[in-house]
Amino acid sequence: MTGNSPFSIPLIHNAVDIMTPFLLAGIGGLFTELAGMLNIALEGLILTGAFFSIVFAAATGNLLLGILLGILCAMALAWMFGAVTLYMRANVFITGLATNLFASGFTIVLAFQLFKTKGVIQFPGIPKLPALVVPPFLQRIPVVGDVLFGHNVIVYVTWAIVLLSALVIYRTPFGLRLRGTGLKAETIVSLGLNPRRYQMAGILISGLTCGLAGAMLTIELAAFVPEISSGRGWIALVAIYLGNKTPWGIFIASFVFGMAESFSNYAQGAIKVPVDFILALPYVITVVAMILYSIFRHFRARG
Amino acid sequence: MREKRNLGELFAGFTGLAFTLLLSFGLVIGLIFILSRAPGRTIYYFFVGAFTNKYYLGNMLNVAVPLIFTGLGISVAFKSSVFNLGGEGQIYAGGLAATAVCLALPAANGFLGGLTALAGAVVLSGGIAGLSGFFRMKWNTDEMISSFLLSSAVVLVVNYFITGPLDDPKNNLLATLAIGPQYGLMRIFPPSKLNVSAFFALAAALLVFLFMYRSHAGYEMRMCGLNREFSRYGGINVSKYLVLPMIMSGALHGLGGGLMVLGTYGATIEGYSFGMGWNGIAVALIAKNNPLGVIPAAFLFAYLDAGAKAAMLNSDVTFEIAAIAQSFIFYFVTAQALYGLARKRRRA
Repeated sequence: MTGNSPFSIPLIHNAVDIMTPFLLAGIGGLFTELAGMLNIALEGLILTGAFFSIVFAAATGNLLLGILLGILCAMALAWMFGAVTLYMRANVFITGLATNLFASGFTIVLAFQLFKTKGVIQFPGIPKLPALVVPPFLQRIPVVGDVLFGHNVIVYVTWAIVLLSALVIYRTPFGLRLRGTGLKAETIVSLGLNPRRYQMAGILISGLTCGLAGAMLTIELAAFVPEISSGRGWIALVAIYLGNKTPWGIFIASFVFGMAESFSNYAQGAIKVPVDFILALPYVITVVAMILYSIFRHFRARG
Repeated sequence: MREKRNLGELFAGFTGLAFTLLLSFGLVIGLIFILSRAPGRTIYYFFVGAFTNKYYLGNMLNVAVPLIFTGLGISVAFKSSVFNLGGEGQIYAGGLAATAVCLALPAANGFLGGLTALAGAVVLSGGIAGLSGFFRMKWNTDEMISSFLLSSAVVLVVNYFITGPLDDPKNNLLATLAIGPQYGLMRIFPPSKLNVSAFFALAAALLVFLFMYRSHAGYEMRMCGLNREFSRYGGINVSKYLVLPMIMSGALHGLGGGLMVLGTYGATIEGYSFGMGWNGIAVALIAKNNPLGVIPAAFLFAYLDAGAKAAMLNSDVTFEIAAIAQSFIFYFVTAQALYGLARKRRRA
């Protein structure tokens, strides 16, 4: 926390934390999107990662192992989603809804079986995520200090994932073929390759990143709350579209969401406005941004 | 010859669906064996519980009513290739609008006041959805994303009204003040909550079917759904059919919400319609966007819901098992491979 530093801007610092799950889920979803599949399932994948990573972390007593197993569970669900969609040729939209529904039902049923409650489950023994601590003079640099330092390790891993994803998507044969699958699957077939394999890879990658996004949510809180993903997967999906289906675009879009939510957290304490209105703010800001962007595109295309 | 092939396809469709349901139910039974300590009892209540007394049966049918409306709303939009993902907010707002009208007219005649309340629901929800259609028409803003975002914001704003200006301090639930007793729809299957809105739902399905398949505008809407460029070439005003299906879709959602308030709850309770919007999408897709097919699809959902409730009350599983059962059906219901299997079997 930088709250005690007189130069820090908590608004930006918190925004960087808040944007991370959006960014992770958005980057994973980008792989699926580029492979030509609408990934509605991000929400359910985040929830699955959130539940299993903290449960495994508590059971094994090892944070890293717990997170890895949580990611694995999210990937297993992603595989199920992909297998039914691709190999049983089901409608991707409805299997995505199924995945979300399954995740929300399954985590609650399992929580009830294991912990005999359908409410909040606290894990007080969970170790904290290690954070990057830098000397105070660095931390106090305005904006830069808030953006760069003092976050937990998942934030930095996420940035590495974004960088790596951009490289994989634009600089490797795999990335080229993945994009080819989305643009015209026939070309991939004509190369003697199986487009479904790339689509499945995209889905599994989205399972991986969403699992990590979920882990960050529960482990930071040291508790599991039913439906803790609370729409983040949907917002990530919006970020993919707002970000024009590029990693950097998603980065910026996620930051906008992070700022909106950070601002609404701040406003809850500072401004006398009903909480519900403030909570609605990120959605309203996004929809306005979307409309402005499409107006801009509309007139640019004309003029 | 052609008739015969169509019948064969239809038959394959039905066996495919039966196959899907059997597979899903098989998985649910497996799950119950894992989760329940009295699996026999749980399975009995899950599958048969809804029919064991009039109360369960009537409530099951009553759950299907809003699902028919949301399913119809989605099928109108999807059939026109316009994507409304804002059903959750639209049905929720419809209930609030109906409640607000009823509260504003405490002494009105039940019939006319009720009609005004439903009109309010239709206008508000149709307007919210129509906005996304309008943005799409005007500036090509993706209506799927904008309707979802607007709906998410609307849910929160409705919550504000429920807990703020319209709150009933005497009610333990988070709910608005109760509407006047003259607005309550006639119960037709006591002691359950089933009411005359069930007939409205059936009538709505028929009307939507007639509109889509027997009217000029419905024909143009379906053509736009099949191929918008071709329709433009054919002289259809395609931009009109980006907005109209959205408005109709929102209006049907609003009607569903409004009728839930008038018929079942008598107030807007926080979260009373949560899940109905998403399930409406599933209902429409199971029905292949056919307005008449929406009716049995909605009953299937209501059946699972009622089964899980009965199993929860009479055995040791939680209600969320219904969500898992529904997800199994979602997974398999559009799986072409399963239908192909049914088709192959028949040929052999």
